[in-house]
Amino acid sequence: MSRDLEWLLIRKYNSNVVKRLPEGPLFSKEAANLFNIHSHKYSGLANSKTISIEEYKGVIQIVTRKPKASPHAVSSGVARSTLRNRTGSRRALGATSKLFKSGYRPDLRRAALARTSALLASQKEKKPRPAKKPRGKKAIAAASA
Amino acid sequence: MASRPTVSIRSTTGEASGSLPLPAVLTAPIRLDVVQQVHKSIAKNKRQPYAVSEKAGHQTSAESWGTGRAVARIPRVGGGGTHRSGQAAFGNMCRGGRMFAPTKTWRRWHIKVNQGQRRFAVVSALAASALPSLVLARGHRIEGAEEIPLVVSSNVESLAKTKDAVALLKAVNAYADVTKVSNSRKFRAGKEKIRGRRYRQRRGPLIVYNEDNGIVKAFRNLPGVEVVNVRRLNLLQLAPGGHLGRFVIWTEGAFGLLDEVFGTFDKASVYKKDYVLPTSKITNPDVTGIINSSVIQAVARPANSKVTKRPWTQHKNPLVNKGVLFRLNPYAKTIRRQELLKQERIKAKKAKKPKTPSSASKEFLGTLFAP
Repeated sequence: MSRDLEWLLIRKYNSNVVKRLPEGPLFSKEAANLFNIHSHKYSGLANSKTISIEEYKGVIQIVTRKPKASPHAVSSGVARSTLRNRTGSRRALGATSKLFKSGYRPDLRRAALARTSALLASQKEKKPRPAKKPRGKKAIAAASA
Repeated sequence: MASRPTVSIRSTTGEASGSLPLPAVLTAPIRLDVVQQVHKSIAKNKRQPYAVSEKAGHQTSAESWGTGRAVARIPRVGGGGTHRSGQAAFGNMCRGGRMFAPTKTWRRWHIKVNQGQRRFAVVSALAASALPSLVLARGHRIEGAEEIPLVVSSNVESLAKTKDAVALLKAVNAYADVTKVSNSRKFRAGKEKIRGRRYRQRRGPLIVYNEDNGIVKAFRNLPGVEVVNVRRLNLLQLAPGGHLGRFVIWTEGAFGLLDEVFGTFDKASVYKKDYVLPTSKITNPDVTGIINSSVIQAVARPANSKVTKRPWTQHKNPLVNKGVLFRLNPYAKTIRRQELLKQERIKAKKAKKPKTPSSASKEFLGTLFAP
Protein backbone atom coordinates (compact mmCIF):
# COMPACT_ATOMS: atom_id res chain seq x y z
CA MET A 1 0.00 0.00 0.00
CA SER A 2 1.53 3.27 -1.06
CA ARG A 3 1.45 6.31 1.16
CA ASP A 4 -0.46 8.20 -1.53
CA LEU A 5 -3.27 5.66 -1.43
CA GLU A 6 -3.25 5.75 2.35
CA TRP A 7 -3.67 9.50 2.21
CA LEU A 8 -6.63 9.13 -0.13
CA LEU A 9 -8.27 6.80 2.39
CA ILE A 10 -7.73 9.03 5.43
CA ARG A 11 -8.08 12.38 3.65
CA LYS A 12 -11.83 12.79 3.81
CA TYR A 13 -12.22 11.92 7.44
CA ASN A 14 -10.33 10.27 10.23
CA SER A 15 -10.37 10.48 13.99
CA ASN A 16 -7.68 13.18 14.06
CA VAL A 17 -9.25 15.77 11.80
CA VAL A 18 -10.53 18.92 13.49
CA LYS A 19 -13.23 20.67 11.49
CA ARG A 20 -14.61 23.57 13.45
CA LEU A 21 -15.94 25.84 10.73
CA PRO A 22 -17.41 24.64 7.46
CA GLU A 23 -15.34 27.14 5.51
CA GLY A 24 -12.43 27.25 7.95
CA PRO A 25 -9.06 25.55 8.03
CA LEU A 26 -8.66 21.82 8.59
CA PHE A 27 -6.47 20.89 11.51
CA SER A 28 -5.13 17.57 12.64
CA LYS A 29 -4.54 16.14 16.10
CA GLU A 30 -1.94 13.60 15.00
CA ALA A 31 1.06 13.44 17.29
CA ALA A 32 3.42 13.27 14.34
CA ASN A 33 1.87 16.24 12.59
CA LEU A 34 4.14 19.07 13.68
CA PHE A 35 2.19 21.82 11.92
CA ASN A 36 -1.17 20.43 13.08
CA ILE A 37 -2.47 20.98 9.55
CA HIS A 38 -4.53 18.29 7.84
CA SER A 39 -2.65 17.86 4.58
CA HIS A 40 -0.73 15.12 2.84
CA LYS A 41 2.56 16.91 3.30
CA TYR A 42 2.26 17.32 7.05
CA SER A 43 0.27 14.15 7.75
CA GLY A 44 1.74 12.07 10.52
CA LEU A 45 0.21 8.88 9.12
CA ALA A 46 0.47 8.99 5.34
CA ASN A 47 4.18 9.76 5.05
CA SER A 48 7.11 7.41 5.13
CA LYS A 49 9.15 9.94 7.09
CA THR A 50 7.50 11.70 10.00
CA ILE A 51 8.72 13.42 13.12
CA SER A 52 6.94 13.74 16.40
CA ILE A 53 8.32 15.39 19.47
CA GLU A 54 6.70 14.14 22.63
CA GLU A 55 7.06 14.60 26.33
CA TYR A 56 6.55 11.58 28.49
CA LYS A 57 7.07 11.88 32.25
CA GLY A 58 9.23 14.95 31.90
CA VAL A 59 11.48 13.49 29.21
CA ILE A 60 11.37 14.91 25.69
CA GLN A 61 11.64 12.33 22.94
CA ILE A 62 12.10 12.75 19.21
CA VAL A 63 10.26 9.96 17.43
CA THR A 64 11.01 9.48 13.74
CA ARG A 65 9.58 6.94 11.40
CA LYS A 66 12.06 4.60 9.75
CA PRO A 67 11.44 4.87 6.01
CA LYS A 68 12.77 1.36 5.35
CA ALA A 69 10.68 -0.36 8.03
CA SER A 70 8.04 -2.92 7.08
CA PRO A 71 4.63 -1.37 6.34
CA HIS A 72 3.17 -3.49 9.12
CA ALA A 73 5.59 -2.42 11.84
CA VAL A 74 4.18 -0.04 14.45
CA SER A 75 6.34 0.48 17.52
CA SER A 76 9.31 -1.25 15.87
CA GLY A 77 8.93 1.01 12.85
CA VAL A 78 9.95 4.18 14.68
CA ALA A 79 13.23 5.36 16.12
CA ARG A 80 13.20 7.16 19.44
CA SER A 81 15.90 9.44 20.69
CA THR A 82 15.76 11.15 24.05
CA LEU A 83 16.80 14.69 24.74
CA ARG A 84 18.85 14.63 27.88
CA ASN A 85 16.96 16.02 30.80
CA ARG A 86 17.95 19.44 32.18
CA THR A 87 20.31 19.86 29.28
CA GLY A 88 19.40 23.44 28.50
CA SER A 89 17.62 24.86 25.53
CA ARG A 90 20.67 25.49 23.31
CA ARG A 91 21.83 21.91 23.48
CA ALA A 92 18.32 20.53 23.13
CA LEU A 93 17.65 22.62 20.04
CA GLY A 94 21.04 21.63 18.65
CA ALA A 95 20.21 17.97 19.17
CA THR A 96 16.88 18.49 17.42
CA SER A 97 18.37 20.27 14.43
CA LYS A 98 21.00 17.55 14.03
CA LEU A 99 18.24 15.40 12.59
CA PHE A 100 17.78 17.76 9.68
CA LYS A 101 21.45 17.92 8.76
CA SER A 102 21.13 14.41 7.37
CA GLY A 103 18.30 15.59 5.14
CA TYR A 104 15.40 14.03 7.06
CA ARG A 105 12.29 16.14 6.35
CA PRO A 106 14.02 19.53 6.13
CA ASP A 107 10.60 21.14 5.66
CA LEU A 108 9.73 20.32 9.27
CA ARG A 109 12.80 21.96 10.78
CA ARG A 110 11.13 25.17 11.91
CA ALA A 111 8.14 23.37 13.43
CA ALA A 112 10.31 20.78 15.16
CA LEU A 113 12.48 23.44 16.79
CA ALA A 114 9.38 25.36 17.83
CA ARG A 115 7.83 22.24 19.34
CA THR A 116 11.02 21.43 21.26
CA SER A 117 11.34 24.91 22.69
CA ALA A 118 7.67 24.96 23.63
CA LEU A 119 8.10 21.71 25.52
CA LEU A 120 11.26 23.01 27.19
CA ALA A 121 9.50 26.20 28.18
CA SER A 122 6.64 24.24 29.67
CA GLN A 123 9.09 22.27 31.81
CA LYS A 124 10.59 25.38 33.38
CA GLU A 125 9.50 26.05 36.90
CA LYS A 126 7.65 29.28 37.23
CA LYS A 127 9.31 32.01 39.25
CA PRO A 128 7.37 32.76 42.43
CA ARG A 129 5.55 36.05 42.23
CA PRO A 130 6.98 38.74 44.51
CA ALA A 131 4.96 39.28 47.68
CA LYS A 132 2.40 42.01 47.42
CA LYS A 133 3.34 45.19 49.22
CA PRO A 134 0.54 46.56 51.36
CA ARG A 135 -0.79 49.83 50.04
CA GLY A 136 -2.65 52.42 52.04
CA LYS A 137 -2.52 53.34 55.72
CA LYS A 138 -4.98 50.74 56.90
CA ALA A 139 -3.33 47.91 54.99
CA ILE A 140 0.15 48.86 56.30
CA ALA A 141 -1.23 49.05 59.81
CA ALA A 142 -2.92 45.65 59.38
CA ALA A 143 0.28 44.12 57.98
CA SER A 144 2.50 45.47 60.77
CA ALA A 145 0.04 44.48 63.48
CA MET B 1 8.58 -11.70 -7.01
CA ALA B 2 9.69 -10.77 -3.56
CA SER B 3 9.22 -13.31 -0.80
CA ARG B 4 5.85 -13.20 0.90
CA PRO B 5 5.89 -11.04 4.00
CA THR B 6 5.39 -12.82 7.27
CA VAL B 7 3.68 -11.86 10.50
CA SER B 8 5.07 -13.00 13.80
CA ILE B 9 2.93 -14.76 16.36
CA ARG B 10 2.87 -13.39 19.90
CA SER B 11 2.78 -15.74 22.85
CA THR B 12 0.66 -15.02 25.94
CA THR B 13 3.60 -13.13 27.41
CA GLY B 14 3.90 -10.93 24.33
CA GLU B 15 7.14 -12.03 22.73
CA ALA B 16 7.30 -13.25 19.16
CA SER B 17 7.37 -17.02 18.71
CA GLY B 18 7.16 -18.28 15.16
CA SER B 19 5.56 -16.61 12.21
CA LEU B 20 2.89 -17.07 9.54
CA PRO B 21 2.82 -15.81 5.95
CA LEU B 22 0.57 -12.83 5.36
CA PRO B 23 -2.76 -14.14 3.99
CA ALA B 24 -3.67 -12.91 0.51
CA VAL B 25 -6.89 -11.31 1.74
CA LEU B 26 -4.91 -8.75 3.72
CA THR B 27 -3.36 -7.43 0.50
CA ALA B 28 -6.67 -7.11 -1.34
CA PRO B 29 -7.63 -3.73 -2.85
CA ILE B 30 -9.16 -1.28 -0.39
CA ARG B 31 -12.22 0.45 -1.77
CA LEU B 32 -13.54 3.02 0.65
CA ASP B 33 -16.58 3.76 -1.50
CA VAL B 34 -17.63 0.11 -1.69
CA VAL B 35 -17.27 -0.33 2.06
CA GLN B 36 -19.33 2.76 2.79
CA GLN B 37 -22.05 1.87 0.33
CA VAL B 38 -22.38 -1.71 1.51
CA HIS B 39 -22.22 -0.72 5.15
CA LYS B 40 -24.93 1.86 4.69
CA SER B 41 -27.22 -0.78 3.24
CA ILE B 42 -26.56 -3.73 5.50
CA ALA B 43 -26.70 -1.59 8.61
CA LYS B 44 -30.39 -1.15 7.80
CA ASN B 45 -31.10 -4.86 7.88
CA LYS B 46 -31.51 -5.05 11.66
CA ARG B 47 -34.32 -2.52 11.78
CA GLN B 48 -37.74 -3.41 13.07
CA PRO B 49 -40.85 -1.93 11.49
CA TYR B 50 -42.72 0.78 13.35
CA ALA B 51 -45.66 2.98 12.48
CA VAL B 52 -48.31 5.13 14.10
CA SER B 53 -51.73 3.61 14.59
CA GLU B 54 -53.79 3.38 11.44
CA LYS B 55 -56.70 4.98 13.30
CA ALA B 56 -54.79 7.83 14.94
CA GLY B 57 -56.53 11.18 14.31
CA HIS B 58 -59.39 9.63 12.41
CA GLN B 59 -61.60 8.44 15.27
CA THR B 60 -64.10 11.22 14.86
CA SER B 61 -67.02 11.88 12.51
CA ALA B 62 -66.00 15.45 11.74
CA GLU B 63 -67.28 17.18 8.62
CA SER B 64 -66.61 20.56 7.12
CA TRP B 65 -69.12 23.31 7.87
CA GLY B 66 -68.69 24.70 4.41
CA THR B 67 -68.57 28.38 3.69
CA GLY B 68 -70.68 31.13 5.24
CA ARG B 69 -69.88 30.64 8.91
CA ALA B 70 -66.74 32.71 9.01
CA VAL B 71 -64.51 29.77 9.98
CA ALA B 72 -61.97 27.77 8.02
CA ARG B 73 -63.43 24.98 5.89
CA ILE B 74 -61.50 22.24 7.72
CA PRO B 75 -63.60 19.30 8.99
CA ARG B 76 -65.04 20.07 12.44
CA VAL B 77 -66.35 17.75 15.13
CA GLY B 78 -70.11 17.87 15.29
CA GLY B 79 -72.54 17.86 18.16
CA GLY B 80 -72.57 19.89 21.33
CA GLY B 81 -72.14 19.57 25.05
CA THR B 82 -68.39 18.98 25.01
CA HIS B 83 -65.39 21.11 24.27
CA ARG B 84 -64.49 18.88 21.39
CA SER B 85 -67.54 19.89 19.38
CA GLY B 86 -66.74 22.47 16.80
CA GLN B 87 -62.97 21.83 16.98
CA ALA B 88 -61.07 21.13 13.80
CA ALA B 89 -60.06 17.53 13.10
CA PHE B 90 -58.12 15.20 10.74
CA GLY B 91 -55.60 17.66 9.31
CA ASN B 92 -51.92 17.45 10.22
CA MET B 93 -52.15 21.07 11.36
CA CYS B 94 -54.96 20.31 13.82
CA ARG B 95 -54.72 19.47 17.48
CA GLY B 96 -55.78 15.86 17.75
CA GLY B 97 -55.41 15.38 14.00
CA ARG B 98 -53.29 12.71 12.30
CA MET B 99 -49.67 13.31 11.43
CA PHE B 100 -48.58 14.29 7.95
CA ALA B 101 -48.01 11.22 5.79
CA PRO B 102 -48.54 8.67 8.61
CA THR B 103 -45.70 6.15 8.83
CA LYS B 104 -46.55 2.68 7.59
CA THR B 105 -45.15 -0.67 8.60
CA TRP B 106 -44.61 -1.52 4.96
CA ARG B 107 -41.79 0.97 4.52
CA ARG B 108 -38.74 -0.55 2.78
CA TRP B 109 -36.77 -1.40 5.89
CA HIS B 110 -34.25 -3.86 4.53
CA ILE B 111 -31.90 -3.40 1.60
CA LYS B 112 -30.60 -6.24 -0.48
CA VAL B 113 -26.90 -6.10 -1.29
CA ASN B 114 -25.37 -8.36 -3.88
CA GLN B 115 -23.22 -11.13 -2.44
CA GLY B 116 -20.21 -10.10 -4.52
CA GLN B 117 -20.40 -6.58 -3.17
CA ARG B 118 -20.77 -7.75 0.41
CA ARG B 119 -17.73 -9.96 0.04
CA PHE B 120 -15.75 -7.20 -1.62
CA ALA B 121 -16.54 -4.89 1.27
CA VAL B 122 -15.50 -7.45 3.89
CA VAL B 123 -12.27 -8.17 2.03
CA SER B 124 -11.53 -4.45 1.72
CA ALA B 125 -12.18 -3.87 5.39
CA LEU B 126 -9.90 -6.78 6.29
CA ALA B 127 -7.10 -5.43 4.12
CA ALA B 128 -7.46 -2.02 5.77
CA SER B 129 -7.26 -3.60 9.22
CA ALA B 130 -3.76 -4.81 8.36
CA LEU B 131 -2.36 -1.32 7.80
CA PRO B 132 -1.20 0.49 10.95
CA SER B 133 -1.82 3.99 9.62
CA LEU B 134 -5.44 3.21 8.76
CA VAL B 135 -6.01 1.58 12.14
CA LEU B 136 -4.47 4.61 13.84
CA ALA B 137 -6.56 6.93 11.68
CA ARG B 138 -9.70 5.16 12.89
CA GLY B 139 -8.66 6.12 16.41
CA HIS B 140 -7.44 2.83 17.86
CA ARG B 141 -4.66 3.12 20.42
CA ILE B 142 -2.12 0.78 18.91
CA GLU B 143 1.01 2.91 19.21
CA GLY B 144 2.54 0.43 21.64
CA ALA B 145 1.82 -2.67 19.57
CA GLU B 146 4.81 -4.14 17.82
CA GLU B 147 3.14 -5.05 14.56
CA ILE B 148 -0.22 -4.92 12.77
CA PRO B 149 -1.83 -7.43 12.05
CA LEU B 150 -1.55 -8.64 15.61
CA VAL B 151 -1.54 -12.44 15.85
CA VAL B 152 -1.57 -14.30 19.15
CA SER B 153 -0.87 -17.97 19.68
CA SER B 154 -3.69 -20.49 19.53
CA ASN B 155 -3.69 -21.32 23.23
CA VAL B 156 -5.39 -17.94 23.76
CA GLU B 157 -8.53 -19.64 22.43
CA SER B 158 -8.66 -21.71 25.61
CA LEU B 159 -8.43 -18.76 27.98
CA ALA B 160 -11.41 -18.97 30.31
CA LYS B 161 -11.02 -16.01 32.64
CA THR B 162 -11.35 -12.33 31.81
CA LYS B 163 -8.40 -11.70 34.14
CA ASP B 164 -6.21 -13.76 31.81
CA ALA B 165 -7.66 -11.96 28.81
CA VAL B 166 -6.67 -8.61 30.33
CA ALA B 167 -3.18 -9.93 31.06
CA LEU B 168 -2.83 -11.00 27.43
CA LEU B 169 -4.00 -7.65 26.07
CA LYS B 170 -1.54 -5.89 28.36
CA ALA B 171 1.27 -8.19 27.26
CA VAL B 172 0.72 -7.37 23.58
CA ASN B 173 0.24 -3.64 24.35
CA ALA B 174 -3.36 -3.68 23.18
CA TYR B 175 -4.99 -2.82 26.48
CA ALA B 176 -4.72 0.92 25.83
CA ASP B 177 -7.51 0.51 23.30
CA VAL B 178 -9.79 -1.05 25.95
CA THR B 179 -8.94 1.77 28.37
CA LYS B 180 -9.89 4.25 25.68
CA VAL B 181 -13.29 2.57 25.40
CA SER B 182 -14.03 2.60 29.12
CA ASN B 183 -13.03 6.26 29.35
CA SER B 184 -15.27 7.12 26.43
CA ARG B 185 -18.49 5.83 27.99
CA LYS B 186 -21.12 8.57 27.96
CA PHE B 187 -24.85 8.80 28.54
CA ARG B 188 -26.66 8.66 25.23
CA ALA B 189 -28.53 11.75 24.27
CA GLY B 190 -32.29 11.51 23.80
CA LYS B 191 -35.02 8.98 24.27
CA GLU B 192 -32.95 5.93 23.43
CA LYS B 193 -31.66 5.87 27.02
CA ILE B 194 -34.93 4.25 28.10
CA ARG B 195 -34.90 1.84 25.17
CA GLY B 196 -32.00 -0.32 26.24
CA ARG B 197 -29.27 1.83 24.70
CA ARG B 198 -28.31 3.83 27.75
CA TYR B 199 -24.65 4.51 26.97
CA ARG B 200 -22.55 5.17 23.95
CA GLN B 201 -18.90 4.26 23.77
CA ARG B 202 -16.07 3.70 21.29
CA ARG B 203 -15.24 0.34 19.75
CA GLY B 204 -12.24 -1.59 21.01
CA PRO B 205 -10.33 -4.47 19.44
CA LEU B 206 -12.09 -7.24 17.54
CA ILE B 207 -10.88 -10.68 18.57
CA VAL B 208 -11.07 -13.25 15.78
CA TYR B 209 -10.77 -16.91 16.75
CA ASN B 210 -10.92 -20.23 15.02
CA GLU B 211 -12.31 -22.45 17.75
CA ASP B 212 -14.03 -21.33 20.93
CA ASN B 213 -12.49 -23.06 23.90
CA GLY B 214 -13.55 -20.36 26.31
CA ILE B 215 -12.16 -17.30 24.47
CA VAL B 216 -15.62 -15.80 23.89
CA LYS B 217 -16.51 -15.81 27.57
CA ALA B 218 -13.05 -14.63 28.56
CA PHE B 219 -13.18 -11.52 26.39
CA ARG B 220 -16.85 -10.63 26.07
CA ASN B 221 -17.14 -8.62 29.28
CA LEU B 222 -14.35 -6.20 28.35
CA PRO B 223 -15.74 -2.86 27.23
CA GLY B 224 -15.68 -2.39 23.49
CA VAL B 225 -14.17 -5.79 22.77
CA GLU B 226 -16.03 -8.01 20.33
CA VAL B 227 -15.28 -11.64 19.63
CA VAL B 228 -16.06 -13.34 16.34
CA ASN B 229 -15.36 -16.60 14.55
CA VAL B 230 -13.12 -16.25 11.50
CA ARG B 231 -15.76 -17.96 9.33
CA ARG B 232 -18.39 -15.40 10.26
CA LEU B 233 -16.56 -12.10 9.78
CA ASN B 234 -19.01 -9.26 9.43
CA LEU B 235 -18.63 -5.83 7.84
CA LEU B 236 -20.53 -4.17 10.68
CA GLN B 237 -17.75 -5.29 13.01
CA LEU B 238 -14.84 -4.88 10.60
CA ALA B 239 -15.75 -1.33 9.60
CA PRO B 240 -18.08 0.12 12.24
CA GLY B 241 -19.85 3.19 10.94
CA GLY B 242 -18.41 2.47 7.51
CA HIS B 243 -15.00 3.59 8.76
CA LEU B 244 -12.14 1.38 7.68
CA GLY B 245 -9.37 0.05 9.89
CA ARG B 246 -10.81 -1.83 12.89
CA PHE B 247 -8.12 -3.06 15.24
CA VAL B 248 -8.24 -6.85 14.85
CA ILE B 249 -6.46 -9.33 17.09
CA TRP B 250 -6.17 -12.71 15.39
CA THR B 251 -5.53 -16.04 16.99
CA GLU B 252 -2.99 -18.15 15.19
CA GLY B 253 -5.64 -20.64 14.03
CA ALA B 254 -7.91 -17.92 12.70
CA PHE B 255 -5.08 -16.16 10.88
CA GLY B 256 -3.94 -19.41 9.28
CA LEU B 257 -7.48 -20.13 8.12
CA LEU B 258 -7.91 -16.81 6.26
CA ASP B 259 -6.52 -18.17 3.00
CA GLU B 260 -9.11 -20.95 3.14
CA VAL B 261 -12.02 -18.73 4.13
CA PHE B 262 -11.42 -16.05 1.52
CA GLY B 263 -9.21 -17.89 -0.94
CA THR B 264 -6.28 -16.20 -2.64
CA PHE B 265 -5.91 -14.29 -5.86
CA ASP B 266 -5.64 -17.51 -7.87
CA LYS B 267 -7.09 -20.18 -5.58
CA ALA B 268 -10.80 -20.36 -4.83
CA SER B 269 -12.10 -20.20 -1.29
CA VAL B 270 -13.06 -23.40 0.50
CA TYR B 271 -15.95 -21.84 2.37
CA LYS B 272 -17.37 -19.61 -0.37
CA LYS B 273 -18.28 -21.29 -3.63
CA ASP B 274 -16.18 -20.21 -6.63
CA TYR B 275 -14.85 -17.18 -4.84
CA VAL B 276 -11.44 -15.72 -5.61
CA LEU B 277 -10.19 -12.44 -4.23
CA PRO B 278 -10.63 -9.25 -6.24
CA THR B 279 -7.38 -8.01 -7.74
CA SER B 280 -6.00 -4.50 -7.83
CA LYS B 281 -6.17 -2.55 -11.04
CA ILE B 282 -2.50 -1.70 -10.67
CA THR B 283 0.06 -3.95 -9.03
CA ASN B 284 2.63 -1.29 -8.28
CA PRO B 285 0.95 1.80 -6.88
CA ASP B 286 4.19 3.79 -6.90
CA VAL B 287 3.40 5.52 -10.20
CA THR B 288 5.93 8.30 -9.75
CA GLY B 289 8.56 5.64 -9.12
CA ILE B 290 7.62 3.92 -12.36
CA ILE B 291 7.73 7.15 -14.35
CA ASN B 292 11.08 8.13 -12.92
CA SER B 293 12.57 4.67 -13.40
CA SER B 294 15.48 4.45 -15.82
CA VAL B 295 13.54 1.99 -18.01
CA ILE B 296 10.83 4.52 -18.78
CA GLN B 297 13.13 7.51 -18.85
CA ALA B 298 15.37 5.79 -21.42
CA VAL B 299 12.58 5.69 -24.01
CA ALA B 300 10.85 8.95 -23.13
CA ARG B 301 11.68 11.84 -25.43
CA PRO B 302 13.31 14.82 -23.76
CA ALA B 303 11.04 17.54 -22.52
CA ASN B 304 10.42 20.49 -24.80
CA SER B 305 11.94 23.79 -23.87
CA LYS B 306 9.52 25.88 -21.94
CA VAL B 307 7.66 28.51 -23.92
CA THR B 308 6.37 31.25 -21.72
CA LYS B 309 4.59 34.38 -22.79
CA ARG B 310 6.28 37.56 -21.78
CA PRO B 311 4.37 38.74 -18.77
CA TRP B 312 3.01 42.19 -18.01
CA THR B 313 2.88 43.45 -21.62
CA GLN B 314 0.11 45.85 -22.51
CA HIS B 315 -2.55 44.52 -24.83
CA LYS B 316 -2.55 46.41 -28.13
CA ASN B 317 -5.79 46.74 -30.07
CA PRO B 318 -5.12 45.81 -33.73
CA LEU B 319 -8.06 47.95 -34.86
CA VAL B 320 -6.30 50.95 -33.43
CA ASN B 321 -2.64 50.05 -33.49
CA LYS B 322 -1.36 49.83 -37.04
CA GLY B 323 1.83 47.99 -36.18
CA VAL B 324 -0.10 45.13 -34.58
CA LEU B 325 -2.67 45.14 -37.37
CA PHE B 326 0.00 44.75 -40.05
CA ARG B 327 1.58 41.94 -38.09
CA LEU B 328 -1.72 40.11 -37.95
CA ASN B 329 -2.84 40.93 -41.50
CA PRO B 330 0.02 41.95 -43.83
CA TYR B 331 -2.40 42.60 -46.66
CA ALA B 332 -4.00 45.40 -44.65
CA LYS B 333 -0.94 47.45 -45.38
CA THR B 334 -1.45 47.12 -49.16
CA ILE B 335 -5.15 47.92 -48.83
CA ARG B 336 -4.42 51.05 -46.87
CA ARG B 337 -1.71 52.15 -49.24
CA GLN B 338 -3.94 51.57 -52.26
CA GLU B 339 -6.73 53.45 -50.58
CA LEU B 340 -4.50 56.41 -49.89
CA LEU B 341 -3.26 56.50 -53.45
CA LYS B 342 -6.81 56.32 -54.72
CA GLN B 343 -7.84 59.20 -52.52
CA GLU B 344 -4.93 61.21 -53.80
CA ARG B 345 -5.84 60.48 -57.39
CA ILE B 346 -9.42 61.56 -56.89
CA LYS B 347 -8.26 64.64 -55.13
CA ALA B 348 -5.91 65.47 -57.96
CA LYS B 349 -8.67 64.96 -60.49
CA LYS B 350 -11.12 67.11 -58.66
CA ALA B 351 -8.71 69.93 -58.09
CA LYS B 352 -9.40 72.81 -60.42
CA LYS B 353 -6.77 73.58 -62.94
CA PRO B 354 -5.18 76.89 -62.16
CA LYS B 355 -5.98 79.60 -64.68
CA THR B 356 -2.90 80.03 -66.65
CA PRO B 357 -3.00 83.44 -68.29
CA SER B 358 -2.98 82.74 -71.93
CA SER B 359 -0.29 84.89 -73.22
CA ALA B 360 -0.52 86.53 -76.59
CA SER B 361 1.34 85.03 -79.43
CA LYS B 362 4.78 86.21 -80.43
CA GLU B 363 3.57 87.64 -83.63
CA PHE B 364 0.96 89.73 -81.92
CA LEU B 365 3.39 90.96 -79.36
CA GLY B 366 5.93 91.80 -82.06
CA THR B 367 3.45 93.93 -83.82
CA LEU B 368 2.20 95.46 -80.57
CA PHE B 369 5.55 96.56 -79.40
CA ALA B 370 6.79 97.42 -82.79
CA PRO B 371 9.09 100.38 -82.64
